[in-house]
Amino acid sequence: MNAAAQFENVTQVFGDFTAVDGIDMTIPAGKLTTLLGPSGCGKTTSLRMLAGYTRPTSGRILIDGNDVTRTAPEKRGLGMVFQSYALFPHMTVAENVAYGLKLRRVPRPERDARVAESLELVGLGHLASRKPRALSGGQQQRVALARAIAIRPRLLLLDEPLSNLDARLRVQMRAEIRRIQAETGLTVVLVTHDQDEALEMSDEMILMRAGKIMQQGAPADVFGSPKNRFVADFLGYENFVQTVSGLVTVRPEHVEIVPGTTAPATGLALPAVVTDVAYRGVDQIITVTSRDQNGQVTLMSDVRADDAPRVAIGDDVIVTAPESRLISIEN
Amino acid sequence: MNTRHPVAATLAVAGYIVMIVPILFVVATAFTDGETLSFPPRGFSVRWFGEALSYQPFVGSLVTSLEIALLATVLALAVGVPVTLAIHRGALPGKGLVENLFLSPLIVPELVVGLALFQQLIVTFRIDNWPVLLIGHTALLLPYAVRVTGAALAGSDASLEEAARGLGASPMRAFWTITMPLLRPGIFSAALLSFITSFNNVPLSLLLQSRKTQTLPVTMLDYVQQSYDPMVAAISTIILAATIVIAVIAERTVGFAKIFGGING
Repeated sequence: MNAAAQFENVTQVFGDFTAVDGIDMTIPAGKLTTLLGPSGCGKTTSLRMLAGYTRPTSGRILIDGNDVTRTAPEKRGLGMVFQSYALFPHMTVAENVAYGLKLRRVPRPERDARVAESLELVGLGHLASRKPRALSGGQQQRVALARAIAIRPRLLLLDEPLSNLDARLRVQMRAEIRRIQAETGLTVVLVTHDQDEALEMSDEMILMRAGKIMQQGAPADVFGSPKNRFVADFLGYENFVQTVSGLVTVRPEHVEIVPGTTAPATGLALPAVVTDVAYRGVDQIITVTSRDQNGQVTLMSDVRADDAPRVAIGDDVIVTAPESRLISIEN
Repeated sequence: MNTRHPVAATLAVAGYIVMIVPILFVVATAFTDGETLSFPPRGFSVRWFGEALSYQPFVGSLVTSLEIALLATVLALAVGVPVTLAIHRGALPGKGLVENLFLSPLIVPELVVGLALFQQLIVTFRIDNWPVLLIGHTALLLPYAVRVTGAALAGSDASLEEAARGLGASPMRAFWTITMPLLRPGIFSAALLSFITSFNNVPLSLLLQSRKTQTLPVTMLDYVQQSYDPMVAAISTIILAATIVIAVIAERTVGFAKIFGGING
């Protein structure tokens, strides 16, 4: 794997809060990597350290193999898109995009061409002379992208770029950012707290919690074999059962509920009581509490509504899942 | 006027009357041909304007007032703007404390500030009245410089400067190309408010004056205690006209809503 950026034992402490706790990570070149995790996990701090806005308390940061730990942001040549977009309100769209090029003393004809090209890439060529406040949220987002891309950055950093957009636009922009990444071949690092966004957009996914990296890998690998309870929980596994061989997890869509008390011979089989039945149109979610394990374990089954077993709250059932769907994890 | 709120409308009209009518009396009496400050004016003449502008104490103190107001405004902004930047953008420990310190002249009675400066600088250190007057007025204006420019900064996104840095701007460059243009209306408002506040000030100037160094409001106060002719109305009218000119310029360039919205921002 060709590394665009690396973190070596990087720690960031703010007062008595350790935002990032000795992480090592590699950002692959030419790919889209997401930093995923709940708020306060250190993902945004990591991005800001990569951009140079905060200096790590200890550790090293490398970009293209060069140590940039103490390099000012303006000397790093990265493109950053802020959550608030941070468009310069006193400049037009074209002036915003041209800002980085002017600082690089790109001659006028080339500058104009690159501004036009960047705006074209995000589909906003026709709004070049508008002021940012005259644009919708989605358009402002695209301007911020164009401005970052225009300087031909070594890395394109996106801090929760979609969180201020409405639901439909957000899904649309996921594909849009993927397309731009593919067309430009840029190395993109995207921070998000939305697992669907990360799964859909990333080539590489880095899941963080409390300043530490929980798991890194391709989305299918991380989703297919979560290493620990946090990762499984964050990605929607829902069901955790202590068995003789250790903790296992299984996704709700792989859990079957069988009315009655007769258990199958293989795989998971737990006697339980139905505690909730939620009909959701396409599917149905049945929540049960296990009779074993001191009634501590709540399990969830997600089945197609057409095939759903006829069970009601208080019914005795057997919760089953095939052996092949059970994933052993660390607690 | 909103006819659905008759009480509010009536109060608004009453407010205008209370504010404007006394001023109209002053303006009217300034154009009198008579010898006393009385209403209605007797005849029409502009001779009192001529008298006012050739009365040395008025002219001399007007110059002092303008000099003090101008210099105090510049000084207050020179100190206040960097402080505002530090409060809003810097990693300053105890920001709240610093901000309160710079706003305190708004709360501490001006007479107390004046007396303190008088005792320390004039009596103890025997410093000339003019520089002490300047120091006092500068302190008086600091809250405006900090608060009004601060309002402009608070309303803008702190990641703007970061975005500029990321695009390749040095901190200086980011300041001049991004922060400064955003701050300009705030600085303009602060300057305007500061100038007017200094120019109108009485309590501080009263304590820090000397025979040689007097501001116009103090001279006018002195004058009306001794004589009662329309010259005072004339000089008041001149100042009023000048203020209106400044106000029109402000309204045309920045807009009142923006300027005075800054106070509460």
